[in-house]
Amino acid sequence: MTTTETAKTVKAFKPNIYQGHSFWRAAWRAITRKVSRVIGFLIIVMFTLMAIVGPYLYPKELPIDPNNIYAPLSWKYPLGTDFEGTSNLALIITGARYVLLAAALGALFTVIFGTVLGLIAGYFIGWSDSVIMRITDFFLTVPSFPLLVVLSTVWNFGHPLAMGFILGITSWGGMARAVRSQTLSLRERGFIEAARGLGLSPFYILFREILPNVSSYIGMNLLTSITGCIYAEVGLFFLGVVPFHVNNWGVMLNMAVFSAGAMSSPDALPYLLSPLLALLLLTLGIVLFLDAVDEIFNPRLREDI
Amino acid sequence: MKDFLIRLVWRIFSGLIMVLAVASLTFFLVRMMPGDPVSAQYNQLIMQGMTPVQAENQVRVMYGFIPDEPLGEQFVHYIWSMLHFDFGQSISYEGIGVSHIILNAAPWTLILVFTGLVASFLIGVLAGVMAAIKRSSPFGTSLTVSGSLLHGIPQFVMGLLLAYLFTTLWPILPFGAPYDSSIDPGFNWPFISSLISHAVLPVVTYALSSYGGWLLTMKSSVITVLGDDFILASEIRGLKSSTRVGYIAHNAILPLFTLFTLSIGFMFGGSVFIENIFDYPGLGNLLVKAIDARDYPLMSGTFLLITIAVIVANIITDFLYSVVDPRIRR
Amino acid sequence: MANVSTAHAEYQQENHKPEMAISARNINVVYATPTGKIPAVRNVNIDLPKGSITGIIGESGSGKSTLIMAIMNAVTKPGKIESGSVILNSKNDLLKLSSEQQRKIRGKEIGFVFQAAQNSLNPLRRVGQQILDLGRSHDVKDLRGLIKYAKELLARLGLDADRVLASYQHELSGGMRQRVGIMFALVLKANIIFLDESTTALDMLSQAAVLEIIRELQKEKNLTIALVSHDIGVVADLSERIEIFYAGEIVEEGKTSKVLSDPGHPYTKGLIQAIPRISGDIDAAEPLKGSSPDFKTYQQPGCLFYDRCPIRTDACRESRPELESIGKDHKVSCFRVGADDRN
Repeated sequence: MTTTETAKTVKAFKPNIYQGHSFWRAAWRAITRKVSRVIGFLIIVMFTLMAIVGPYLYPKELPIDPNNIYAPLSWKYPLGTDFEGTSNLALIITGARYVLLAAALGALFTVIFGTVLGLIAGYFIGWSDSVIMRITDFFLTVPSFPLLVVLSTVWNFGHPLAMGFILGITSWGGMARAVRSQTLSLRERGFIEAARGLGLSPFYILFREILPNVSSYIGMNLLTSITGCIYAEVGLFFLGVVPFHVNNWGVMLNMAVFSAGAMSSPDALPYLLSPLLALLLLTLGIVLFLDAVDEIFNPRLREDI
Repeated sequence: MKDFLIRLVWRIFSGLIMVLAVASLTFFLVRMMPGDPVSAQYNQLIMQGMTPVQAENQVRVMYGFIPDEPLGEQFVHYIWSMLHFDFGQSISYEGIGVSHIILNAAPWTLILVFTGLVASFLIGVLAGVMAAIKRSSPFGTSLTVSGSLLHGIPQFVMGLLLAYLFTTLWPILPFGAPYDSSIDPGFNWPFISSLISHAVLPVVTYALSSYGGWLLTMKSSVITVLGDDFILASEIRGLKSSTRVGYIAHNAILPLFTLFTLSIGFMFGGSVFIENIFDYPGLGNLLVKAIDARDYPLMSGTFLLITIAVIVANIITDFLYSVVDPRIRR
Repeated sequence: MANVSTAHAEYQQENHKPEMAISARNINVVYATPTGKIPAVRNVNIDLPKGSITGIIGESGSGKSTLIMAIMNAVTKPGKIESGSVILNSKNDLLKLSSEQQRKIRGKEIGFVFQAAQNSLNPLRRVGQQILDLGRSHDVKDLRGLIKYAKELLARLGLDADRVLASYQHELSGGMRQRVGIMFALVLKANIIFLDESTTALDMLSQAAVLEIIRELQKEKNLTIALVSHDIGVVADLSERIEIFYAGEIVEEGKTSKVLSDPGHPYTKGLIQAIPRISGDIDAAEPLKGSSPDFKTYQQPGCLFYDRCPIRTDACRESRPELESIGKDHKVSCFRVGADDRN
């Protein structure tokens, strides 16, 4: 192969230009790139729908059926029944709202506390930074699940908002620290110095200039926080340290293991396995979907095709 | 050396402040509790026929302070007894000191979680290196997927699944209790084998649920190191691949070393679910039982110990790290 | 036009071709990116005559570092060598050897000083330990002798050898690390040395000192050196031959004195004009117009320098010029230059 030949056969190369400037279109592309991500997305959509419309599908008091206690799987009871003959499927579907709403609120509070405190600490530095960081250290040091267990003695978790608030309070530490370090490096950048030079208010700089630059990190963490919150709250109900005044997957697990003895009596097995199945399915959906979220917020990870 | 001492003293001082803060938290939690458990305890003792003085002493033994004194004095008395390692007396285990109960429970947690922690760390780190090096092959991808899935499954779901699989579906392992109660405890083979077979499931649960985290962290750490200039340099200098893998592993594992020693601190409180599911008499179980029984002195003591473990581990990590990483050494 | 006697001398020289330490032919390297494949190095032929210093000049991103990585067969992902051969000492094709054979050549026969020599050491091991690692990897029997030679080199480079061997990377300054990097390239007595922007990060004075030492060592040990730099001054000072790189191709090559005194390619002219002189009007230094090549540049079928060229014609957009001889040991790839000087 001589030089002359190759030079002539050099192909004009066509770049596949990355189209779609809108965030949502890019997100949609990232999701539909792999089958696994679509499956994850569909699972999450399904659970979200369950949380929104689920409680309207059933009467407020779920019907009991004394003739069908611990019934096996059937067309009438696709996931069997519990100790009162209530359909497990109905329990799962109506229980989804509290579980998901509390988790979403918990993640929201985590992100809000973490972001606001991190931004303030990183931007104003000085004494406010020291104070906030000492508090952050405290919350990062105290093991959060045992703290939740202890707090359950004084706090009423009946409403998802109350649960979400406490979940947020106990888990914002890592977020605050990360946002702070990003803010610290951002505030030395030219455009922030320029904004300060122009005399823009700190409020404006923080929320209009710096916040958009840390938003990708926040977006990533929102989803991982949601999973953390789901596990923590279901876990609290499962341990039985929280009074059972709501329908919840964790309550089902607790009753199945500690009251129904599902481990030894095969009859009660569907009662134990249905919430486990729901949690596993949701976990699977989130793990699969996280892959897409990774790519949406970290364009560098976009794979070549 | 002088810097070192100053840093040590400062770290210990701030650790003590932290302990104080946690102690105050538990104190006010108990005081703010609806129904005022301290006064309720006092009244109950009076009803049981104690004289006010006896009841007051009894309450003082349990909580470290008495109901009648002002909040400030109660706080001072409470902190004072804490500083003397006096965590009060349990209510549910009548007449037994909280410290005694905690000291009995701690070894169970320690053995359970430490075994699981070490196992998951070793396996997870090795798998993480493989997942990073072979990240474009199906083998590497499947390792990563296994890691994310196991990392995603909550500990209690993992525990329940394993318990169901191996005690009900294929009943090859015992369920519940730390050992077979029909065997006399002692240093003999039946007892030890019973201990081990009862520990398998809880240990495996802990190991499986932390394996994914180690794998994913190690994988990303290795990938970061692989991008470092000195790794390319070592390749172009023609270093043997075993030497290069050593360089990579050494550099990649440093950040995980910190996480590992921190995990030792967190492990005291990290096994609440596992101990609960498998009815293992460790600290996590103790905390839940104390709350179920509204045994507040026991709850405060256990929680405080769980936190102190983390604080101590933090300090030790800090100093160990400066030993293993020459960049921080003074 | 050329007179007969010089033409004869030229002919004779052709027959006495010096032996090549490295002779690379037809090297093509592409980078796979989300927007498609970018040819980072295209159809490059390069010779490093034994015992000489060759300068390789180009802007950052011109592919000059990629080229020497390709010669070492160490192109990192997403780059990939698509074709080419690298003949070492007129014997083996480096690119066809087994990876174990390649490993043994790296470091032992070809030394390499990095662009990022500042970070070319394992931060967790002392310099001395890393020299031993290097020696063991290349089956050096006399490790004591190796350390002794390392100390000798360090001392020549103006460092406190004992202190350096006992140090970690973070305990050395940037200039010291750079010298340690040079020591690593020389300590196994390699005959061929690549210096990839190795002195760029240094201040002017230490740069001059390091270059002086390199020149001495080269003379003393008859080393073959490839000196990669964006700094035409550094290269002009040291090298006998020069290769001008633009957008992944060699646009001009020849004896340094000739190329600098009588540059053919408009890019070379631009580079020379862009050097400000200490004694002279600062305004006389003229920056190159236009922007450095980007991925769009590589798409055009014509001359890669077309966008920035002051003497372009429409024909330059249609097809791409080849490297053509325009004089004794002087080649240029430009339609406009060849047309004037040949005939």
